[in-house]
Amino acid sequence: MKKIVLAIAILVILGALYGWFFVYNKPHTDFEKSKPDFEVTATELYNNYVTGKGNRYNGKVLKLTGTVKATDDGDTLITLVFVFNEGMFGDEGIRCTLLPKFNPQIRKMTLPATITLKGFCAGYNGTDVVLEQCSLLK
Amino acid sequence: MKKILIVITGILFFTVSTQAQRYITKSGNITFFSDGPLEKIEAVNNKVNAALDSQNGMFVFKVLMKSFVFEKALMQEHFNENYVESDKYPVASFKGKVINISDINFKKPGDYQAKVTGQLTIHGKTHPVKTTGTFTVNDKGIKGKSQFNIKLIDYNIEIPSIVSGKIAEEILITVNIDLKPLKQ
Repeated sequence: MKKIVLAIAILVILGALYGWFFVYNKPHTDFEKSKPDFEVTATELYNNYVTGKGNRYNGKVLKLTGTVKATDDGDTLITLVFVFNEGMFGDEGIRCTLLPKFNPQIRKMTLPATITLKGFCAGYNGTDVVLEQCSLLK
Repeated sequence: MKKILIVITGILFFTVSTQAQRYITKSGNITFFSDGPLEKIEAVNNKVNAALDSQNGMFVFKVLMKSFVFEKALMQEHFNENYVESDKYPVASFKGKVINISDINFKKPGDYQAKVTGQLTIHGKTHPVKTTGTFTVNDKGIKGKSQFNIKLIDYNIEIPSIVSGKIAEEILITVNIDLKPLKQ
């Protein structure tokens, strides 16, 4: 009887350790596969944040449609820019950094263009609404 | 002759006084590093907004906390939910000045030591910061580099006692920015 109890106890402990290890090493969210929490137009999103009503989008996955006027082509990352205003940091609006796999696709596009994308909303820094790890849809 | 001199002086003065130029970036890099007794913790944010005014030395940073990336997803979750409470305080900011801005010649490429002071706001709490850094002027713009320590307690960032063995009380912050002139 004692041996069975001991065996069960060891299994439970091993199970707990395995579970903890699994949680501790859980992977980062794959935003390409995430389901959007909100579907918005670029104008809606920007206006909501500028009027102080944007907090509900913080940390959420957004599906966004709007007209992209320009891109910021960095070393490895390309950022799509929706411009609504000008300010201390230059253009103000929405900035969406693409997952690198979409770089070839965006480089082929002629801008301005209407684009639908999905990404993680990091929030509003007073100048731009920042979306990250974006996937091009459509 | 006097009139011509006055006009010329006026034009020169006008030219000199409109030298003010703003340099900005929206992809500045800030890393923080914590060397605790049990574990090293490191996170990177490369979406930092920074602006520098070359005339008055005004220096401003805006940092979205949810843009910090950790190697471990669980650590990133704890950082956002428990330590910096990024839902409540989504943005950290620095409002300060390069106090020796006149020592920096934006037209002459080279390295310049900068002295920076200002107010840093993290987790809704503001605390003064004084540090030095290096500005490297080149033909494309200005690169800036700085490193300084902050104390978590100054920003009301509480680490639960279970975890406190892992995280150091002082955090090392490294700033790397590539500023470009803002076309006006």
